[in-house]
Amino acid sequence: MPLIEIRNACKGYGHNGSRTEVLKDISLSVEEGEFVVIVGYSGSGKSTLINLLSGLVKPDSGEALIEGRTITGPGPDRGLVFQNYSLLPWLTVEENIALAVDEVFKDWTAEQRRAHVARHIAMVKLSHAAHKLPRELSGGMRQRVSVARTLAMNPRVLLMDEPLSALDALTRATLQDEISEIWQSNKTTVIWITNDPDEAILVADKVIPLLPTAPATLGEPILVNLERPRDRRTINHDPAFKKLRARLINTLLDAKGRTKSKTSLKLNLPDILPEDLTQVNSIEFLTRRGPKRRHESKNEEVEVAA
Amino acid sequence: MHPLIQKYKLDSIFLPLLAILITCLFWYVIAGKSVITEKTDDFGDKIKVTKREGLSADLPTPAETWTASKPYIVDPFAKRGELDQGILRFTWMSLVLVAQGYFIALVIGTPIGFLLGLSRQFTKAFDPIIQVLRPVSPLAWLPLGMILFSGVKVVNGDGRTTFGASDAAALFTIAICAMWPTVMNTAVGVRAVPVDYLNVARVLRLSRWKTLWKVLVPATLPYMFTGFRLSLGIAWLVIVAVEMLTGRPGVGGFLWQQYNANSYAHIILCILTIGVVGYVLDRLMSVIEGRFKTA
Repeated sequence: MPLIEIRNACKGYGHNGSRTEVLKDISLSVEEGEFVVIVGYSGSGKSTLINLLSGLVKPDSGEALIEGRTITGPGPDRGLVFQNYSLLPWLTVEENIALAVDEVFKDWTAEQRRAHVARHIAMVKLSHAAHKLPRELSGGMRQRVSVARTLAMNPRVLLMDEPLSALDALTRATLQDEISEIWQSNKTTVIWITNDPDEAILVADKVIPLLPTAPATLGEPILVNLERPRDRRTINHDPAFKKLRARLINTLLDAKGRTKSKTSLKLNLPDILPEDLTQVNSIEFLTRRGPKRRHESKNEEVEVAA
Repeated sequence: MHPLIQKYKLDSIFLPLLAILITCLFWYVIAGKSVITEKTDDFGDKIKVTKREGLSADLPTPAETWTASKPYIVDPFAKRGELDQGILRFTWMSLVLVAQGYFIALVIGTPIGFLLGLSRQFTKAFDPIIQVLRPVSPLAWLPLGMILFSGVKVVNGDGRTTFGASDAAALFTIAICAMWPTVMNTAVGVRAVPVDYLNVARVLRLSRWKTLWKVLVPATLPYMFTGFRLSLGIAWLVIVAVEMLTGRPGVGGFLWQQYNANSYAHIILCILTIGVVGYVLDRLMSVIEGRFKTA
């Protein structure tokens, strides 16, 4: 049995008139210990997809399940790492993580919980900043706190909603490596959402493209069987990596291409007919009924991106 | 001297002083001046007649104001009689009353603000009432307070009333007038709590109680304190009206009593005191407010 899955889920927003379907016929199943990355364009419904799994959003039809049970709401078994960190700014790093730990492990002693918090702060290499407030930390450090907070809940699945999108490229690379390392040491199931194909192939076991059809659908999964640990400096020249990346990007681009549709627009051409200006002083010119128009409209077919 | 320090001195010392001087000059020009003329009366004796002349004949000049106010300022805690006390003594009485009314306003206003911010139905139901009651003047609330609390009477051992209907009405008036900024700002603050923070609370499955205290209240604090600051300003505005109408001793009561006693200089003393105290209170609150600003 897969650990977490979505069966034929559809989701749209808005009411009858202005309704937009975001996701259609989404089916996804992730086994225990898998590292799955879902890649898609910005605004194609990636966040909605992960929120179906986290329970923050309910599907219109179909269902989301964890260990065979329908997901009815958010819970600590599915740790969610937010794109914008969502640390509480009035709590220190330690307190932010403790808030989660105290809630999830109510039956532990205070000492156990404190040790658990300290271990997770150390895991993301932030022991020196344990008593700092989020605003005193850089973006990368904040996201590490967020990852630590989520992992400290010992979730069955780690859901990451574009965790590194708000970071600069260098920090992002470092964090990709760190998260990969952490995953290799504890093998939590991860579902990671991103818009970066390179990032996807670098960290994932399985990459699933979210195709930008309207509404979006999931494409064929691409298995990434590259050796771990993957070294970002050498992997760029690895033919297997290049092939996977080309395949992934082509899948996404092809789907984008197919979404272009044809539509016809009625274009009004400027149609005032030329007049003889040598007759400006004549009576006829003064009594004329304005400029003459050809009164024609022409149809033209133009290609527009949907 | 360093040019920057020079500039600072010019901007923040010299310019305000200049403005004060101009204002005092204007005051002096429109104020009445005593003119003494010698006249022969019906019995043939020479007498001195003092007459006040000027644009506003009864308005005392700055110098007269100072002379008349001096005993109240140099001995600010003197108690010469129930209605003749040092200015700070009066101010202190007013402040105590304001503090009590303000405290009631916060205790009632903050939860109402939270309810308004959290519940759409509650907002829909109570918004019309609040919008109608909000602009009502303190002068209108006080008589209602008198009626509401007409039965209130706390008597001490000697048989003297320590807390009567007028005290209750005064507190009621201050509380109900000062409450609205707290109510409105808290409601706005609660509505402005980022969805992300609430999602964190949902993902962690925090209980309602814990969500309130760990997420909602800290996220709303900056807004709440803005409301608290505005409320304090209003409470201080209301005190004068309340003391005038109830005749309680205090800075506003003193003002009204001095008006009735024709000692106009003391009115100006009271106005300046009220202004300065209001300004100090506002500064204090904005310092506290600044401490609660988060990220």
